[in-house]
Amino acid sequence: MLEHYFPILVLLGAALAIGGGAMGFSYLVGPKRPYHEKLDQYECGFAPLGRIRMRFDVRFYLIAIIFIVFDIEAAFLFPWAVAFESIGLIGFIEMMLFLSVLLVGYAYVWKKGALEWE
Amino acid sequence: MMVADVIFYLFATVTVLSALGVVGARNPVHSVLFLVLAFFSTAGLFVLMGAEFLAAILVMVYMGAVAILFLFVVMMLDVDFSMLRRESVRYLPMGFVVGAVMLAELGLMMAHHPGEGLHLGLDNTDNTLAIGQALYTRFLYPFEVASLILLVALIGAVALTHRERKRVHRQDISTQLARTKEDAVELRKVASGEGA
Repeated sequence: MLEHYFPILVLLGAALAIGGGAMGFSYLVGPKRPYHEKLDQYECGFAPLGRIRMRFDVRFYLIAIIFIVFDIEAAFLFPWAVAFESIGLIGFIEMMLFLSVLLVGYAYVWKKGALEWE
Repeated sequence: MMVADVIFYLFATVTVLSALGVVGARNPVHSVLFLVLAFFSTAGLFVLMGAEFLAAILVMVYMGAVAILFLFVVMMLDVDFSMLRRESVRYLPMGFVVGAVMLAELGLMMAHHPGEGLHLGLDNTDNTLAIGQALYTRFLYPFEVASLILLVALIGAVALTHRERKRVHRQDISTQLARTKEDAVELRKVASGEGA
């Protein structure tokens, strides 16, 4: 089973080599002359007024939660698809039931306008 | 399988180090990124154990969604983390107690049931297939309940955080397209010299 994952391991190694190489090489070769203004947060010419960390709108969070729910729904689809032949019609009906319950949630979210972004 | 051993120790080391990074990083955003790394290397460990489905879920749900959620929480709270850090030393003994209890539990489980999992009477080695065959036959009812739990979570999230914003200019494409020349344009004959 593990030999199927060998290409992924190669990809992982290549990604690490390229990403780490680019960052490490520029760290080694590039000039480093830091001073306070350079390391400060960026403002257009004047001294920074506030702290750099600002609060995010709660709407980002809402989108993320909606995403999680449908992500988990997709996760349930994987074993269903793999075992589809052995669980038969009952498995199919079950999954349709599962999906229709979440479809109700989707309709609710849509109707409420939670997917809208002004 | 020497290679698998080497890869195991590689992933295990990265997992432990990034777990330490989660606790020790000074910037909370870095903590969350270390958490993502810990998730990823744990997924690698799962693959080495043959638990492909768990690995896929870890990458898809935990790294893709839960970590992002954590990141949003960290960014939204706007807490003075240096202050929090100074106080967190007080909770260190309690943390050690919790960690010790969990370690003892794991040790007990390993001592009593070495290498033995939940037996579902399925003799195939394909992990995902075994989960599918068990989940959609024997655990049919919990599976359907899971959909209701997800529905509750969805509705709860919308009810708690969503509020209609009035007084914003929203683009409504169908209204725009439904406009015709007749109801949008008005032509008036203005006498010369009379126009305001």
